[in-house]
Amino acid sequence: MTQPIWGPVQRQMSTILQEHPDDVPAVVTQLQALQDVLCQVPPLLNSNPLADFNKLYLAITENVLDRLYAGKFKDPAFLSRLDVEFAGRYFDALRYWTEGSPACPGVWAGLFTRIPGPDARPLPSAVAGVNAHINFDLPFALVTTFDHLGTDPIDGSDQHHDYLQVNDIFAEEIPGLRRGYLDRWQLLIDTMNGDLDDWWQGEMVEYTRNVAWRNAQKLWAIRHDLAQLDHERRRLDRTATGLGKLLLSPFADFLQ
Amino acid sequence: MASQGDDGPLVGRTGTLADIQSYLRNVGPGGTAAVFVTGESGVGKSRLLRETADALRGGDFAVLLGTCLDIGDASPLHPVLQALRRHDSATTTVADDPGALLERVSRDLRAIAGDRQLLLVLDDLQWADRSTRQLLLYLLAGLGDVRISVLAAIRAEALHGTHPLRRVLAELRRLRSVRVVDIAPLTEEHTRELVTAIVGGDVAGEDADRVYKRSGGNPFVVEELSRDLRDGRVELSDTLREIFLARVDELPANAHAVVHAVAAGVEPVDHAVLAKVVRLPEDGLLEAIRAAVAYRFVVSDAEGYRLRHRLVAEVLEQEVLPAEGAALHRRYAEALEPAGGADDHARLAHHWQRAGVPARALPSVVAAARSAEGLYGFAEAHRYWTIALRLTADDATERAELLGHAAESAHQCGEHVLALARLEELAGRKDAPSECELHLRRARYLAATGRSETAEREYELALQAPDCTPQLRATAAAFLAELLLHLGRYADANQRARDALELAAVNGSTADLVRASAALGFSAAFREDPDAGLAVIRHAVEIAERSGHPDDLGCAYLHLAELLTGPLNSIEEGVLVARRGAATLAARGVGRTYQTRLLAIAGNGLFRIGQWAEADAMLEAAMQHRPSGADAVELLLARCRLWVGFGEVDNARRDLDAVATLLAGGGARHVLPMLTLRAGLAMWQKEHAEARAAVQRGLTETRSDDLVLLGVLAWHGLRAEAEAHVAGSPVDPAALRRLNTVVGRLQEGADNAATEVRAVLDGYLNLCAAELSRIEDRQDPEPWARAAAIWDRRQQPYPAAYSRLRHAEAALQRRGRRATAIAGLRQAYATTIAMGARPLANEIKGIAQRFRVSLADDADTVAMAPPEPDQGDELSVLTGREREVLEAVAEGLTNREIGEQLFISERTVGVHLGHIFDKLQVRTRVQASRVFLTAA
Repeated sequence: MTQPIWGPVQRQMSTILQEHPDDVPAVVTQLQALQDVLCQVPPLLNSNPLADFNKLYLAITENVLDRLYAGKFKDPAFLSRLDVEFAGRYFDALRYWTEGSPACPGVWAGLFTRIPGPDARPLPSAVAGVNAHINFDLPFALVTTFDHLGTDPIDGSDQHHDYLQVNDIFAEEIPGLRRGYLDRWQLLIDTMNGDLDDWWQGEMVEYTRNVAWRNAQKLWAIRHDLAQLDHERRRLDRTATGLGKLLLSPFADFLQ
Repeated sequence: MASQGDDGPLVGRTGTLADIQSYLRNVGPGGTAAVFVTGESGVGKSRLLRETADALRGGDFAVLLGTCLDIGDASPLHPVLQALRRHDSATTTVADDPGALLERVSRDLRAIAGDRQLLLVLDDLQWADRSTRQLLLYLLAGLGDVRISVLAAIRAEALHGTHPLRRVLAELRRLRSVRVVDIAPLTEEHTRELVTAIVGGDVAGEDADRVYKRSGGNPFVVEELSRDLRDGRVELSDTLREIFLARVDELPANAHAVVHAVAAGVEPVDHAVLAKVVRLPEDGLLEAIRAAVAYRFVVSDAEGYRLRHRLVAEVLEQEVLPAEGAALHRRYAEALEPAGGADDHARLAHHWQRAGVPARALPSVVAAARSAEGLYGFAEAHRYWTIALRLTADDATERAELLGHAAESAHQCGEHVLALARLEELAGRKDAPSECELHLRRARYLAATGRSETAEREYELALQAPDCTPQLRATAAAFLAELLLHLGRYADANQRARDALELAAVNGSTADLVRASAALGFSAAFREDPDAGLAVIRHAVEIAERSGHPDDLGCAYLHLAELLTGPLNSIEEGVLVARRGAATLAARGVGRTYQTRLLAIAGNGLFRIGQWAEADAMLEAAMQHRPSGADAVELLLARCRLWVGFGEVDNARRDLDAVATLLAGGGARHVLPMLTLRAGLAMWQKEHAEARAAVQRGLTETRSDDLVLLGVLAWHGLRAEAEAHVAGSPVDPAALRRLNTVVGRLQEGADNAATEVRAVLDGYLNLCAAELSRIEDRQDPEPWARAAAIWDRRQQPYPAAYSRLRHAEAALQRRGRRATAIAGLRQAYATTIAMGARPLANEIKGIAQRFRVSLADDADTVAMAPPEPDQGDELSVLTGREREVLEAVAEGLTNREIGEQLFISERTVGVHLGHIFDKLQVRTRVQASRVFLTAA
């Protein structure tokens, strides 16, 4: 690459991304460091789409950390591992992007390419990041976490409850969730978590925020089969990328 | 996998190569090091491995090479056993237990290494089986006692998804002796250099640019494109696929066949096998092979043939017609079948499956499953059983048996949900096992997933099943009692255990008897009838002694030792029992795992009662058994606790690194003790920030039921803040607030906890309260006196001595009760010296110097003055008898014991207690004790 991807802050980005946080406090620190740097990315500075997402994600992770300290989760060990593993995938995507590697998932690349503009509105931008993170990263993070802890993803387990609590935090922290927009917002959240193909075809939309969990269970069953897993990864990336494009298009303006 | 032979020049990797070599030499405290090389296919990982191996071989390194297979279902430990075979040391892979197997492999590695460092090079680690990954962690943790440096290559693509190595690497990354080296594509400049070197002479700038753009700097592609450039071939394509397909078309027909055959084989392909697969006359075959080599598709070495790069195999795979592929695999299978070695089962199974002849594949698959079970590779075995199921029709007679195996192996390797699914299919068949057996198995699998309620129901159904044999009934009842005990339903557990014991006495196996006795013993002890409980378990030990079966003996002794050192807090007796159990098993030469665990219990008990030298010897003996997995982690943690107490910093660090290495493979419940020890070590080093970070991380990784672990951690956290404060560093208010929240939660939890948990928690809660007084500059000796009293009562001199030190410090600062303070300080000093607790002794000396107190004089003769009966207002409402009862309650005695002590009936004790609760306005024994201890 002749032109550094991050312009004047390329070096700072590389330095931050050399860290691999391994606990939730360290994840918060890393997100804070990223926020400082992202706000200096020209030309949009504070209002670039990634800064919008990162800010939201930082708020969510701080919320998770507070709840961990307050003992709000049933299985904090699980949740901490999940949080670290989950964030690690966002940091990986940033790292690939920074290195100009083709390994950067399409859904993230879609958001990263929008950093120099044209201006996208903050809410759809943040939501596009959430889309990438939940619809693509989360199922894999869940599978890795369960694999590491030596337990299965079982409905109704302590881990499942804790997982659902994180969904609540997402809903709580997402900005612009004003009363008047609640319905439209709700519709988006639901469709976002649903399968895009289904949504397009107007078939049954799953009105649940449990899709990442379902996808994780699907992946869990095939996790030893690298070829099948890779296939599924590409499928999820495609679905999420399509949705991400939509979110960053003028269609999503109704959100503001 | 990689190109070999006539490689192009190595460009742009000089620095990386030097780094890798220096990392491999730079071993950590455990004598091990590891470098994991990651990067996309074709980036040159294998080349780096080879170059490094060549550079280090012959010097002070012994080098072993292994490659993981991508057939998905390799046999357990394949790459390492292959590496050993290449070195002509076929290991005997028959062992009593998984630990023994690991030890056997380690011994072979040690023999090869001799007095050199061993370099184990593993390519394509992304395809490694679970057993191999565990062996690697075992070796890197230093448990195999092999001075080993591991160099492994991992495809970056594999790490994107959910690959287990992803988390393993994330955990290992923070160890100083482990490095992850990401190999990036070549820069534009380096690409130009490589192009020039291959083309020879001048290369037009635009040509080099084009190669760079098309290859993205991937050296493998750069080399191929440069050759095209050199040979004047017109490049029509940028994808690897098109480049290679064009090349394949140029091959002579026979060479074409050879290339396709090698691509379908499991590398390395033996010449004799290839001859049977390609079916050419010898001269023709040799000529064809020579052509394939000349066209740079195939390389040949002593072991056989392989493709220059796996990328080529992946391209070719898509070009072969399904029928062609099937025919090739069939010929492979037929060529391999006569040999039929253990390692060939996996290959045979692979080829027969691809050949589309499931019936022929089945025997190999079953053989591969059994041989994997023989190597304790339950995950691999489970996959073979699953393949076997895929190969059999629904109505096949062997299907029921296969389902049974598949379910059990899934359960063994932790895939409980799958195990349940297999069991469901089995249950739906006409030739299913009995109702009772199905319920029993379902219950066991459910219990393993944590679904206790459903598991309980299944056990009940098993017991009620009309076809339940007396033997199965005894087994089900014993398991049910055990489950209820874990759920804390002691009354129910007690009742079930009684039933089970009755059944087992007539019809059960010794295992059932032992399990039922343990459940009965523990439930009785928890229900405040410890003597009865003890008697039952002692009886179980006698029965096990008679049966002499290692599992029975091991279980019975473990239960007895755990009951004594745990709930009953009779540590010395528990230690004796544990040692006797270990000795009994050792004399019979069985139960290695149980011996290790018993010695660990003894070691931990000795640590608590302050006999550290003996604890050290005990743990050393346990380590001689070369434990693996969770057993190893527990022992390392126990030993590290001792090192921290002794102040042996390097040893402590080594064991902490080893624990972290093993935990990279999984094991959440040991994370908290590890972090606590890290904090404890950092505090002695005056590294307050590090201690704080370890504790704060711990606070986010607890489990809600880990009250005691959380108590220790919270104390470490508050102590770290207090030490920082005393040293003049700022206290972290956020950290302090969180610690206070946790202490509040602990207090709540203590009120609802079982008696013995409550007693331990009380000790830590008092330490927490005392540290808090230090942070708040209260210089209050009282909380420390209470903490010392509690730890004295629990017979744990280490925390007691620490409390005395702080008590003396506060009292001396206040200039009050100097004599008591000095006596306490001297007693603490004598204790710490006797234990060998150097850092604590130094701390005591520091305080003594500061307040000009002599420690040496009559240190042994002056005992700590007993707490003076300084009655507070609160206790004055009680009668003399009530106070006596309360005092006994505060000592942790049961009503029966109090009755015996005061010569009154158990019932009268209850009546007194009721009055005491009313007068003191408390609801629990703990609260009453607290009032008493505060006032006393």
